[in-house]
Amino acid sequence: MLSDPTGSWTPVALSVDLPPGTVVPARTPAGPIALWRSASGRPSASADRCPHRGMRLSHGFVRGETLSCIYHGWSYGAAGNCLRIPAHPGLSPPETIRVATHPVEEAGGVIWVGVGEPATQPPQLAGLVPLRSLQAQAGMAALEAAAGAKADENGLLETTQNSQEIRLLLAFQERDETLIHVLLDGDSSLLERIAVSRAVEALRRKAEAIEAEGSSR
Amino acid sequence: MTQDAMIDEWYPVGLVSQLDSFGRKTALMGEPIDVASDADGNARVTANGRTLPVCVRYGHVWSSLGQPQKELFAIPEADQPGRRFVDVGVVRVRCSPLRAVENFLDIAHFPFVHTDILGSEPHTEVQNYKVEIREDADEVWATQVKFYQPQAARSASGGITTEYMYRVPAPTCSVLYKTCPPRPGEWDVITLFVQPLAEDLCDVWPWMALFDDESSMTDLIHFQQTIFLQDRSILENQIPRLLPLDPGMEIPTRADLTSVAYRRWLKRHGYTYGAQLVAQ
Amino acid sequence: MTRQNQDHLFERMTIRGAVDSASFVPWIRRHAAKLGLRQEIRHADAGRIEVEVAGPVELIDMLEMGCSLGPIDVWVETITRTPAAGGTGGQP
Repeated sequence: MLSDPTGSWTPVALSVDLPPGTVVPARTPAGPIALWRSASGRPSASADRCPHRGMRLSHGFVRGETLSCIYHGWSYGAAGNCLRIPAHPGLSPPETIRVATHPVEEAGGVIWVGVGEPATQPPQLAGLVPLRSLQAQAGMAALEAAAGAKADENGLLETTQNSQEIRLLLAFQERDETLIHVLLDGDSSLLERIAVSRAVEALRRKAEAIEAEGSSR
Repeated sequence: MTQDAMIDEWYPVGLVSQLDSFGRKTALMGEPIDVASDADGNARVTANGRTLPVCVRYGHVWSSLGQPQKELFAIPEADQPGRRFVDVGVVRVRCSPLRAVENFLDIAHFPFVHTDILGSEPHTEVQNYKVEIREDADEVWATQVKFYQPQAARSASGGITTEYMYRVPAPTCSVLYKTCPPRPGEWDVITLFVQPLAEDLCDVWPWMALFDDESSMTDLIHFQQTIFLQDRSILENQIPRLLPLDPGMEIPTRADLTSVAYRRWLKRHGYTYGAQLVAQ
Repeated sequence: MTRQNQDHLFERMTIRGAVDSASFVPWIRRHAAKLGLRQEIRHADAGRIEVEVAGPVELIDMLEMGCSLGPIDVWVETITRTPAAGGTGGQP
């Protein structure tokens, strides 16, 4: 996670995991969000709570350029303003009826969501390409202990596991849960990708064991 | 558990058809209870050895941790000849028992949650309807509720405008009266009896009294279960989990009138088990 | 549908009950602001609050729905609405 005094960026998902017309739940330091991509490909992040009666917007549906709540169909644009209330089709909703949104940047196959007002752009991961994401039931400390290395200020952790070099982009979820994005050199072969994937799985198991042991004390 | 006016109410705790002498362990408002039949075959409910009040009605066993001041509410249609009674069976939901009732009273969600069954786009407008507290029985009633539905009941053969009445006779129970296609002039009765296990956990017991000589019992149960499981996915993903009595973080509209009336009725009675008092 | 096509009503909403206006008046202002409704509190005491609002009927209905509950420490007995003369010029 990249922080400056006014805000921070969290890598919440990989681009490939958010096709157009879909919405998924995601976590940021500011709380849960509904991460969605419009039909035209634009990613947006809104608070995961419909202002009508509190339903999670991440359970909703994307139609065209809007995100609709699954409960009563209230529809929101990328800027968060409510565009339509199906039970009252004659009303043009005022722009004050809205859901909070967060800035979103997408680069190099990673989707970053901003919390607060970050003054800088998200980090460039030059030459690195995301492979896949996985959840670890382990906090940052357990992961760093398992890796024998620390993540840098961008959340990037480089280490060697099972003689394999691996590069991970970490996102804090909970005290004991971390989202891991596995990164590779752009020109990796299939065999290298498989080796990296296996090494990451091994690292995760190691970190989860450390976490479980720490919490059982 | 805070002492609350709700302690002296009747709550469903099991099905009559599933009573046995061995007993079934469950809970009521945080207290473990046991539901069994005694040597004479009568329902017996105990909490930690203490015998609780019990009554048997509408296919269910009812009990209370307190002292109910009146009999369980009446549903006269349950005594009408020709009706079929359907025990739908219990569904556990991780939400406040009050949220389960509020959702049952809501119709604006039909086209979105029960798509092509109870409603469909573009027929999403909710016409104004009437809500009152009937002072004699002290119950919430909503009447003249109309909604266009593609397939309103197993017994309906196509889209019709269904008329509804909703009734709240107890804090965690709701009765829905629905126009009945095979018997114009009569109402089908669909109920939700909600057992509060904890403030954010409940067992929901749907029950029905219908005029339908065609559908099999399995189909009737399946239809209602399908609808309720769709509602459960909503109920378990609403924030906050408890039912807000202060709508400061919400935007209720006129279509939400039954929800607002229900919350007003709970507030006036001090029924706060499962309620969120301060908006968050 | 453009804004000009929506009927703008001017109404006076009278809220009666056991209303602690110290908590309720700010609550009403916040709720009206969420609805984008211009409002002006014309009267506020322990038993009655009068609010003038202007806007589409659906939004005034929403204000009524919210106010019929309000914060936990007030009890609203009735809300009546009557057309008000002219514009309110109230603060949003």
